[in-house]
Amino acid sequence: MSLESIGVSPEVGAPPKNRKRTSMRALYTRRFMRNRGAVLGVIILAVLVLFAIVGPLVANHSHTDLDFLALRQGPSAEHWFGTNGSGNDNFAQVAVGLQRSIQIAVLVAVGTTVVSAIVGATAAYFRGTYERIMLTIIHFMMVIPAFLILAMISNDAGGNWLVISLVLIFVVGWYMPARIIWTLSLSIREREYIHAARYAGLSGMRIVIRHMLPNIGSLLVINFTLGVVSAVLTETALSFLGFGVKLPDVSLGALIGYGSSTLVSAPWLFFFPAAALTLLTVSMALIADGLRDALDPTSAAGGRA
Amino acid sequence: MIKYLVRRLLGWVLMIVVATNITYFLAWLYLDPATNYFGRRPPLSQEQIDALLVPRNLSASVPLLERWWNWFSGIIFRWDWGLGPTGESVNEQVSYRIWVSAELVLGATIITTVLGIALGVYTASRQYKLADRIGQATSIITLNIPVVVAGFALVLLAIGFNNAVGVRVFYVTGASSPGVEGFFPVLVDVLQHLTLPTLALVITGYASIHFLQRSLLLDNIKADYVRTARAKGLTKQQAIRKHALRTSLIPVTTQVAFTIPLVFTGAVLTESIFNWNGMGKYFISTLSTNDIHGTVAVAAFGALMTAIGAILADVTVVILDPRVRVN
Repeated sequence: MSLESIGVSPEVGAPPKNRKRTSMRALYTRRFMRNRGAVLGVIILAVLVLFAIVGPLVANHSHTDLDFLALRQGPSAEHWFGTNGSGNDNFAQVAVGLQRSIQIAVLVAVGTTVVSAIVGATAAYFRGTYERIMLTIIHFMMVIPAFLILAMISNDAGGNWLVISLVLIFVVGWYMPARIIWTLSLSIREREYIHAARYAGLSGMRIVIRHMLPNIGSLLVINFTLGVVSAVLTETALSFLGFGVKLPDVSLGALIGYGSSTLVSAPWLFFFPAAALTLLTVSMALIADGLRDALDPTSAAGGRA
Repeated sequence: MIKYLVRRLLGWVLMIVVATNITYFLAWLYLDPATNYFGRRPPLSQEQIDALLVPRNLSASVPLLERWWNWFSGIIFRWDWGLGPTGESVNEQVSYRIWVSAELVLGATIITTVLGIALGVYTASRQYKLADRIGQATSIITLNIPVVVAGFALVLLAIGFNNAVGVRVFYVTGASSPGVEGFFPVLVDVLQHLTLPTLALVITGYASIHFLQRSLLLDNIKADYVRTARAKGLTKQQAIRKHALRTSLIPVTTQVAFTIPLVFTGAVLTESIFNWNGMGKYFISTLSTNDIHGTVAVAAFGALMTAIGAILADVTVVILDPRVRVN
């Protein structure tokens, strides 16, 4: 590590005005890069995203093409990941399925983070009846089996991925993070800068958005990355059970569900989507771990910086 | 203490009743038993469908409130959870499947908890050493392997193993073989069926407890009272065992208690992969056959499990933590 990067000027005794202070971003980046797993996660994720975007363009066949000369064949020069029983190209299907899974995951993670942050922080800020109503709703969501309602609604929607995403946000995703954010916001509410903002006459909503949320920003970032993982897992589970994305649309879960029925006779149909899915969830988890080291001031795992 | 528990209990009963009734109306919103008979050859007339469904209280031609009251009064007065669309009793289905699920879930939960806590304690007392780093890395990976992938990977491995040995050591489907009798044959048969799904649940589940136990124990090791204990001459291991572990166990047991409902319904995937006829499998089949009474019974069971988990969590905190006084 060079001297500049730890904020010390190389020429000892140089005038203080030449000294550069490490910016927050540089500090976070350096702490993140120190976690080797996290860097590996970023690399894997980048490769997967590239595969999801470029894959369908470079594949010999589109994911809906049927090649009747190659039914359930292993990987070959023509079909890189083999074909399924109807002659679909597995490479194109995995690439499109991965694209769909990533789309759902990012949409759900963004939605969940926004909804839970607003609900949690406003409940903590406004207190009173509003807070009690919100907490009761959250407790109710815990008792009502979310997965069941999710399955009913998405089954009814006929496998439309946008509907599935919306249900994943509003039925499954938001309430546990909202409860965590509520607990954290309760202590922030009593800080001096919030009092100051209130005496300065700012409206409640403005204080929540401009002053409370930025101060739990690191938690929100980590929640977002973990939200991606859980959205991918839930969507996979639904599609595997037949309640999620349906043909002709494909997602990794639907592909794995199909591949699992030919596990012994055509293992490539299971192996490639399963590998893509595992790499996706594990890489996001590694990134979340690195972010926690970088953003959480109490974490010592990243060493000192 | 008793009074406190009774009050909590009443609160939970109320929650379960309300949640179950909400699910009943939601189920009617999204499921329609009449669609089971569409597309039959020869097509059934509306009267024929009604003749089948009205006696089972599943016909949409009866007003919703009347259907609801028939269903609800049946539960209250006769503990009868209704009939499925083909006429089978929900009570029978559920009471049989609970034991199939329990067989799988109880063992897996115990192994997961013990393994998670043991690993947490082991790695926390060796923070940043090689064992800790390896433990952390494997746990991040296993925690995020999708259950479906882990399950089928185990199936592939087991089939390979069976072929290599030439004997069926592991069964990849079902909860038991028909026609097995006697204590030891049954025990061996159950274990042969139980091993793979239990492994799948343990592999994907132990890591969250490992992480929680490790970080809690690390916080407590740094606390003043543990330092005091060490200053009085205890070794690090003794101080951890006698002082730090007890306090750090409280949140862990809370989390374990709260995972009970998740494991019960979360075994949906595991039961589908290994073809076990437990509550998880039932849940899927009730949804796909528009079995409204069955669906609601599953929901009520899930709510009950949540309540039991929450109450267990309360009780263990009171037992473990001398600072908590309830009155």
